[in-house]
Parts: sequence; C-alpha cells; structure tokens
Amino acid sequence: MTYDYHEPETVAAALDLLARYGEDAHFVAGATAFTLLWRQGLLRPGHVIGLRRIAALGGITSAGGALAIGATVTHRAIERSAEVAGYCPALTRTFASVATVRVRNQATLGGNLAHADPAQDPPPMLIALGAEVVAKSAAGERTIPLDELFVDVFTTSLRADEILTSVRCPALAKGTRATYLKFLPRTADDYATVSVAATLRFAEDRRVAGVRVALGGCGPTPLRARSVEAALQGAWPDPRRIADAAARIDADIAPFDDVRGSAAYKRDMARVWTERALTELVS
Amino acid sequence: MKLSHTALVRAPRARVWKLVTDVPAAARCVPGVAAVTPSGTGKYKGSLLVQLGPVRLVLDGDVALTATDEAAGKASVRADAKDSRLGGTVRATMDLALVDRGEDTELRITSDVQIAGRIGEFGQPVIQRKADQLMTQFAECLARTLA
Repeated sequence: MTYDYHEPETVAAALDLLARYGEDAHFVAGATAFTLLWRQGLLRPGHVIGLRRIAALGGITSAGGALAIGATVTHRAIERSAEVAGYCPALTRTFASVATVRVRNQATLGGNLAHADPAQDPPPMLIALGAEVVAKSAAGERTIPLDELFVDVFTTSLRADEILTSVRCPALAKGTRATYLKFLPRTADDYATVSVAATLRFAEDRRVAGVRVALGGCGPTPLRARSVEAALQGAWPDPRRIADAAARIDADIAPFDDVRGSAAYKRDMARVWTERALTELVS
Repeated sequence: MKLSHTALVRAPRARVWKLVTDVPAAARCVPGVAAVTPSGTGKYKGSLLVQLGPVRLVLDGDVALTATDEAAGKASVRADAKDSRLGGTVRATMDLALVDRGEDTELRITSDVQIAGRIGEFGQPVIQRKADQLMTQFAECLARTLA
C-alpha cells in the first residue's frame, strides 16, 4: 500500500494538487489522525499532500487583543506560546491537556479541527471564545464560525475544494474569565468522557453580562450549551442559579454510548462538570 | 449489531407495500445506492456508497427479498456486501413491518447487521448513527415518492 507524497510550498500549489487529484487526495499536516486511519486501512488515498512547508499556514500573531493561529501550528507550540498565554490562559491549558507531549509535538490545530472528532479538546474552548476558521479555495476566502464548522462525527462544513488556513480568536471583552475542564475517568492522556469550556464576564452589578458554554464528547459534534447560557444571561449567578442553569444541559446535548460511558452517564457528567466550570468562573 | 427504526410514511399501506417490495424502486430511496440490477428471482446486485467523514466505503453485493407476506404486511430482506478496496464485509437481515395508521403507514425495520473487517474499526456508535441517518432519509424519500 503506497501513496505519492507531495509537499507544496504555497496554498495555491496545495489547492492545485487538490484540484488535480480530487477524491484521491488527502491533506495532512502532523498526520496524527491520518496515520491511524491509514494504518487501520480505512483511508487509501493515492496522493497525500503535506502542508507543513507552507509558511503562510504557520505562525501565531496577536493584534488589538485578537489572536490568529496558523493551521499547521502544533498543539505544543500553542501550549508554549506567549501570545496565546497573553490572550487567554485557559486556551493554553486546553492545548496542554491534549493527549501526551509526543502527540502535541506532532498534531496541528488545523488537523485537529478538520478531523472533527467530537471528543477533542480545542474545539469546545475555541467555540466558547467565539473563534472562527478561515478557509481558502480557488474561488476565494471565507470565514466559518467554529460552532458552524462541525456538522457530524468526523465531518465539517469545509467544502471538498477548500483548505483550512487559520483560526481567529476575537478580542475578549475586558474581565472575561475562561476555563476548560475535562472529565477523565480512565487515563490522563485519554479523550474526555465529557469536557466543558466556558467563558463568562460580569456587569458592574455582578450580573452575568456574557456567557458561552461549549461541551465535547456530548454528541456527534462539539456543542454550544445555549439553554445553559440563556439561563444565566443577565442573572446573578449564585450557587442555586448555577445549579439550575447546569441542569438545563439535557436540552443542549445528544451523547451516545461508547467506551467512555453510556449516554445516560454522560448526561449526568455533563451537568456536574458544567456546574463545576461555572462555579469556578464566578468564584 | 441489532438496530431498530420506525418511521411514519404519509401514504396508505398498500402503496407503501408496493414500493418497499419493489427492490430496485425502494433502493433508489437509499442515499448512496448506485445501480441495482436483477440477478435472479427476487435477487439483485447493487452498490452502496457510504461516506463516514474522510472514509468512503463502496459496498458491492447482493440483495434478496427472502420472504413476503402482504396480508400481514411483513417482508424480509437479506443483504450481503463487501468493500473490496478497504476490506470488510457487511451482512444484514432486515425485517420490515407495515402497520396501518389511518391515512398513513408506520414502517418498522428491525435489522441484524454483522460487520467484519476494517469497517468495524469505526465502532458501534458511529455505525449506529450512520444507519439512523440512512433509515430516516429512506423513509422521507418513500414518503416523497408516494406523495
């Protein structure tokens, strides 16, 4: 079983290769997800297009409080980036919590998002931060809010002729707090059974002026917990209110049974960990 | 793996029966099915394309109507398919039951699916979900065809 390996140096050259080989082509950056699927025999492309030599897909920049991370930046580089830590320490912790150092040294942000496994760590945190991805094709460039990128298990709204080039995180309103919690009942490097990312900021009177909650492992895609958010928006978040809001998580999620827990167990854990995340943010 | 699906088709039972027991016509309602051709009495050859994220399965195989009982509104279908490129086989026995619901018909499909080889790497949750989507789209297409 072999494939031809291509290493274009520009996005345009990568798109040309994609146009030439179509469904027989597969993009890789760190190739962590690809290698597993390939070794399992589930992917057999004739052409693999490596993206790591494309300088335009790398780099982390911050300007005006916003953050932009290139698609081929590794998890480890994000975890160690001063720009990322300055933007949001919880984002640093999210990337530091992924799998193991060996995986983080190899796996890239763009690969993580394009792979669209619903149990991955970065997507819920990036959704809670209001991030969007930039996708390029021969027809031009568009941005996709992260909560519209994921459409199903391993499936994104990226078109077959597009390449994910970067992720943009908007400037956060002053006083925004953020956290990412993952429930790992098995091993420290496992995918989470459920994970919860949340951002919250207070108004001057200590009411909730803005809140976003997103979960991993709770359905076919990472999910926004809009019912929970609605229950807290404008409210004084005392412990009772937080518990009531977290209890609404049932309406927002659609977990299924797998090796990390039954659907019913994940529903319980989603409520518990959402409550913990929100409690941490208001304390 | 046992799967069970129920769908309401907005058409009377006799018309639904005629469509679901006409294998080539019913197959046109399964998303991803390419040509279905007869290969003997009640037997057909066909091909089903299933996309699971980046993975494309092309299942080539045989479909046979193994039992029909129009009075009871029950039929059984057996499908035997393999993906020769990735390696893997799918065997399914599906029992269909049509139940009168006034103007509408309830379609119940109970399937026993055996998956062997690499396709099985996906695990039951993902396969179950894909089967749910196929069945939902199948029932919607039946309703549209009969409308």
